[in-house]
Amino acid sequence: MATRTDSTFDGFGRVSRTAGTIFRYLLLAATLFGLVVMTILLVYVANDAFQPLTADTGWHATFLATLLVPTLAVAAYLYRESAAALRSGAYTVGLIVVSALFSGGVGMLFVDIVAPVEWFAVVVALVAPTAAVLAVVSRDHRLSFTAQFATAVVAFYVSLFGVPGPLGTVAGLPAVVPSVLDGILYAPYALDSWLIVTLTVGGPVAFLGGRFVAGDRGERVRNLVAGGVLAGVVVAAFLGPTVGVEPMPAAVVAAVGIAPPVVYAAGVAANREQERPGVLLPVVAVAGTAAGVVLTDAFGFAGPNSWVTWAFLTNPHSRFAEQAGFYPAIGGSILLMVAVAVLAFPVGVGAAVYLEEYAPNNRFKRLVDVNISNLAGVPSVVYGLLGLGIFVTYLGQAPGTILVGGATLGLLILPIVIISAREAIRSVPDDLRDASYGMGATRWQTVKNVVLPRSFSGILTGTILALGRAIGETAPLIMIGAPNVKFAIPTGFGEAASAMPLQVYAWSSLYAGEEFYQKVVPAGVVVLVAVLLAMNSIAIVLRNKYQSQD
Amino acid sequence: MTDNTPLEQDESARGETADPTNDDMLVETDVAGAATETDQAAADTIIRSRDLDVFYGAERALDSIDIDIPENRVTAIIGPSGCGKSTFLRCVNRMNDRIDNCRVEGELSLRGKNVYDDDVDPVALRRRVGMVFQEPNPFPKSIYDNVAYGLEIQDVEGDHDELVEEALKRAALWDEVKDKLDSSGLDLSGGQQQRLCIARAIAVDPEVILMDEPASALDPVATSKIEDLIEELAEDYTVVIVTHNMQQAARISDKTAVFLTGGELVEFGDTNQIFENPDNQRVEDYITGKFG
Repeated sequence: MATRTDSTFDGFGRVSRTAGTIFRYLLLAATLFGLVVMTILLVYVANDAFQPLTADTGWHATFLATLLVPTLAVAAYLYRESAAALRSGAYTVGLIVVSALFSGGVGMLFVDIVAPVEWFAVVVALVAPTAAVLAVVSRDHRLSFTAQFATAVVAFYVSLFGVPGPLGTVAGLPAVVPSVLDGILYAPYALDSWLIVTLTVGGPVAFLGGRFVAGDRGERVRNLVAGGVLAGVVVAAFLGPTVGVEPMPAAVVAAVGIAPPVVYAAGVAANREQERPGVLLPVVAVAGTAAGVVLTDAFGFAGPNSWVTWAFLTNPHSRFAEQAGFYPAIGGSILLMVAVAVLAFPVGVGAAVYLEEYAPNNRFKRLVDVNISNLAGVPSVVYGLLGLGIFVTYLGQAPGTILVGGATLGLLILPIVIISAREAIRSVPDDLRDASYGMGATRWQTVKNVVLPRSFSGILTGTILALGRAIGETAPLIMIGAPNVKFAIPTGFGEAASAMPLQVYAWSSLYAGEEFYQKVVPAGVVVLVAVLLAMNSIAIVLRNKYQSQD
Repeated sequence: MTDNTPLEQDESARGETADPTNDDMLVETDVAGAATETDQAAADTIIRSRDLDVFYGAERALDSIDIDIPENRVTAIIGPSGCGKSTFLRCVNRMNDRIDNCRVEGELSLRGKNVYDDDVDPVALRRRVGMVFQEPNPFPKSIYDNVAYGLEIQDVEGDHDELVEEALKRAALWDEVKDKLDSSGLDLSGGQQQRLCIARAIAVDPEVILMDEPASALDPVATSKIEDLIEELAEDYTVVIVTHNMQQAARISDKTAVFLTGGELVEFGDTNQIFENPDNQRVEDYITGKFG
């Protein structure tokens, strides 16, 4: 033992780690390279779009004092107290931003794209037969599948087309009973549009909110909370006109923009004692913003000369940069996303379920496997050509409509949807399949009762990320002849429409001019990225929920 | 409806065969009374295999198994890892069908009907042969929905609330969960989850319950509860249980089958005889711990 302390003993020597250290930092650089480059670009773009340096010093100082410092202080306090509280606080702040974006989208939908009455008619015409079929099925358990299917077909046919409907028109019979759809559309008395929004949008929000806040407290609390949310939406509709907002948009903002963060914060405060202090963060952030706005107004400090303004968001394109806006392109993109989701989701999920649960493991399946991966790598411009060839030339659709664009982008993201949905289905533990088959379940029963419920959020996450890819695509839209610039927002799926990336492309190429390059294009990019992040945030929330379940 | 048709075929086919086990149902009660004395002679065979071979690809997992498993008894299958115990169990309800390269030859009959006949629908078969797995695998649903799962998918007639309650009582779980039937089955402890799985299996009133090392993932207290439960279940059901644990087999089973490496059934007989006075030297070595 003495040799250890002996002066002649010089330790164990050292092993050189130089190569390893260099390798490690190279890997780190590779990891961060893309992120850093894109962040730098976005900072530049955001600077051009918002022009923060054009604001008065007083404006900056005011917001520093009212918003930034208090919020950071609260965040630091929460960080020391409880990480969970900080997380749910930050989550609420994020929810405020995302909800605001979504309320803008929904508001746009009801103000300019779909008449609320039409929306209401479609919702009722779809919900009524669904409820009727469910009632019939739950009353008689032993109804055979064929009988259930027939009931469903009849119910939806009557609801959507009436008796005898188009079949009768072909045979020359007069209409006897109008469809639910027509009944509502042509009813002598129509509900007010704000009431429709309250029922169809506020209703589901209130239901989900009630469930979230009530937790285990039972039905009474749930109904109370749901009623409270609905009452809040109605109050907003009545108060709207006093601040110059129509009742309908006010109801939208209340139901989509304000209710979700408020309900979430209330739920956190009510159910998770440990995270309760986290509610402080959004309160301070909102109060700080409000105080900042009031104070800068009072002192007369000018804000930044931002290009992302209300006018930019609600105007169509103009030759003059000052008046150029993004509105038709935003509407076009939203409708495109709806079309893409409706077309790609069922086909993609269907293919994934087939490949994972039904297909025998043979040569055919392996061939399909490989080629779906290959399909995901086909350049988007080729998909544009495909869309042009099939939908425009062969099927004779008008070029550049939402339907054609949606179908083309749907084909483009189909392999991505299939791959991610398969991943989600594969992650369902085989134990559960064994349990289900062991009980004597058929394949369909196992898929319906065990596999799909368990993998649904994963499938949804993958689909939303794929939609994020579709919303940024430009080349296929150019190929199918979508107009670069539209001056009116499209109101139907058969109309030609521009989309956000196309409009940005147009500004940066066709309308050459310093103002467009340096200000309008960055503003457009900021809006596009914001919409993308809002969509991805849903995916992130779903994924977190999904992981915490395991 | 379509799901049930092969089951009916199955039953009618049973009626036609000349196999003596046909009359099980008629003599069942008399037999149960006499059974206590000499199990071997009295209990009727419910599962019978002759020359049963199973291959995974080119690899042989079971080597011409001949066995007669009696009705309303606990039959334990013991043996070292990889000897084909679970493979045999999974032949009975054709869960092996789910494995791509698995091939079964020979005969395995349930009440005289070969379950590998072409006219047997494995889904209908599994509705009569319940299974409990090694790892507790409740669905991520409520406790009630877990037990009602089989009732729902099999369209069982009657009041499901009552049937769920009865199944939970028989699985000795009712008192622990009666106040929280709506909470998730995953919130239960491991032992409770396994009893939930047993309740799920017996809710649809199968004829045979297969258990694949049901207690191997559980602590000793939970294990002893499961063992008590198995002994009670044997009054009404035929239980076939695979286990690693020889003491467990000795405690709960009436008959024991010893599989040894290579997928051979080396000895099958009354549990007492197997553990006290085995005929086969290899079995004795295995039981006394000389190998395996």
